[in-house]
Amino acid sequence: MAALPKRIIKETERLVSDPVPGITAVPSDDNLRYFHVTIDGPDSSPYSSGVFDLELYLPDDYPMCAPKVRFLTKIYHPNIDKLGRICLDVLKDNWSPALQIRTILLSIQALLGAPNPDDPLANDVAEDWKQDEKRAVQVAKEWTEKYAKSKEIATTSTTEESV
Amino acid sequence: MGNAPAKESRSRSHSQASTTSMISNLLPTILSSLGAGRSRARSYSGAFSVNTNNTNSAGLLGILGGSNSIGSAGGDKKKRQEEKVKQKELHYQDLVVRYYENVDGGYLAPYGTYKSNLDFNTEIVRNLVIARRLAPFYTPLQDFDPSWSDNELVVLLSQLTLHLIETAYSEDEDEDDDIDSRKLHKSANYYRRQEQRTKLKQIIAVAKETQKHEEQVFLEDKLKLKSTQSQDQSQILDLPSRDLLLALYRNASECPICFLYFPQHFNISRCCHQPICSECFVQIKRLDPHPPHDDPSQTSSNPNETPHTLISEPANCPFCAMPDFGVTYTSPSHISTGIEGMTKPGLFKSFANIPEDDSVIMDVSPSSPATGSSSLSPQRRSRMSGSSPVGGGYPARRRSSLAASDPAVVTIDMIRPDWEQKLISARNRLARKAATATAIHASNLLIDDNNSGRSSQAGSVLLRTMEDRMVEEALRLSLLDEEERRRKAQEDT
Repeated sequence: MAALPKRIIKETERLVSDPVPGITAVPSDDNLRYFHVTIDGPDSSPYSSGVFDLELYLPDDYPMCAPKVRFLTKIYHPNIDKLGRICLDVLKDNWSPALQIRTILLSIQALLGAPNPDDPLANDVAEDWKQDEKRAVQVAKEWTEKYAKSKEIATTSTTEESV
Repeated sequence: MGNAPAKESRSRSHSQASTTSMISNLLPTILSSLGAGRSRARSYSGAFSVNTNNTNSAGLLGILGGSNSIGSAGGDKKKRQEEKVKQKELHYQDLVVRYYENVDGGYLAPYGTYKSNLDFNTEIVRNLVIARRLAPFYTPLQDFDPSWSDNELVVLLSQLTLHLIETAYSEDEDEDDDIDSRKLHKSANYYRRQEQRTKLKQIIAVAKETQKHEEQVFLEDKLKLKSTQSQDQSQILDLPSRDLLLALYRNASECPICFLYFPQHFNISRCCHQPICSECFVQIKRLDPHPPHDDPSQTSSNPNETPHTLISEPANCPFCAMPDFGVTYTSPSHISTGIEGMTKPGLFKSFANIPEDDSVIMDVSPSSPATGSSSLSPQRRSRMSGSSPVGGGYPARRRSSLAASDPAVVTIDMIRPDWEQKLISARNRLARKAATATAIHASNLLIDDNNSGRSSQAGSVLLRTMEDRMVEEALRLSLLDEEERRRKAQEDT
């Protein structure tokens, strides 16, 4: 395998030395382009009590093309489908090489705080969201409690997981 | 594709083996043919015994195109293909970094940080660099610490290679790049694709060898320079002087895209004044032709128009997302070396006695702390040389944004002028696909018609309409082809 570009090395270092609050990204031991990611649900969102697991992969062309990011934790959100795929412009055509792992994860966190049912990926969820937002938020809360790690437990278990 | 991958990989490894054995034969030919076509600063003799009289420049084409007869039809097509091969060769040879092809301490070809997307027009980019309209391709530093002493910095710089050969030419780029477009082309049969791939591989392998050779020349000349300080051989003068290295790299700063360290003379985005190194700049390009919206329902609303709805938009600025990304570049006023420069890089001397008041450059980067090395005063001087009154030109003193059409701006479309051609061929490809589908559809109807009896009145009407439609389709296609041909002809002139 070709040597890791300096950019990836530096981004990884900076993620460790200057972490983003509420977000962790740890490279896998056997593939430094593959990251285990956790994102805290933003406060004042139905996901606020949960910590969500994601995977992030930097393709060969990175940073000229976007990282591939996917939710591993089941989540009820109009822009995230059953497989955890995320509908977010900066992960697709609006990707810019000036963006980074850090900024992309912040965008995803922001997406949790601001679901956009008008540009849905999970159509059924988006329909629910549009028809009865209160109920949809309630379901999102229930799913968060059911599938996402709770924040209190997560603080102790993340150290375990990164091993 | 089915089981194709296995086959491909087998023949790939085979072609690799044969490629390496061919290189030694091909290299002199290529070098000589290139030397004839372009004026290089240095003759390529020495490492190779080249007899220019015997090796004519078509030699390589002869070898590469040797098995061409399998699928080729007509000499015209063959000629065009040979022309293509020749252009590819030139392209890859242009991507070779040669130390004697330098501008203000940088080079005319990228260092090799990225291995893909090098499909920009090399001739245009070389000329832009020579015209000082685009920053030269400087050799990047992986790390930089302003507290390094001048001696440490110079030692580090002198160890750098011209090119990241192992990354740039690493082997796993098989399936992507320009080959793909031809793979999708429906008229290309398996053998031809295979042949073209092999040819490309050979061209790349030759370029890699050339780069290795250039690296060797660079190394040998550096050693020569060390051993014979006084001798002024013209080539050795193309090696940067200590003063030049320090003037360039003393205040190195980081490119925000690749995170590597370069001399401060960056290209500056026309819209938001952000620095970008040339190697990252040439990576930015249009997205491939695509339907206007991701939403498929919108594009399929009018099936007749599908081929023409493919669009291609200029790339946005990576920093501020302004459409039609472009940069300006102001070459440092105090460094003018190499091609069309005032001196040879080896003769570059920073002027002593420049007072320390030129804070122009210092206010941009943190002033480097005094270094505890033995020869402080010459270092000082050389550092100061990086700051003539006009400034080492960090953001080039440009205050306002510039339009993409401004004559000073280099846009990404300028270095890939073939984008329009690519869009047209993508549309044509789609049109042809649609036509094939229509033809298959039509022929199915015809067969149905045959079965139901040729004599029936309804049948013959249907047959006629089918025929009409096919003729129409054929006309449409030939019009498209004609359009493409005319466009090509126009580009050639």
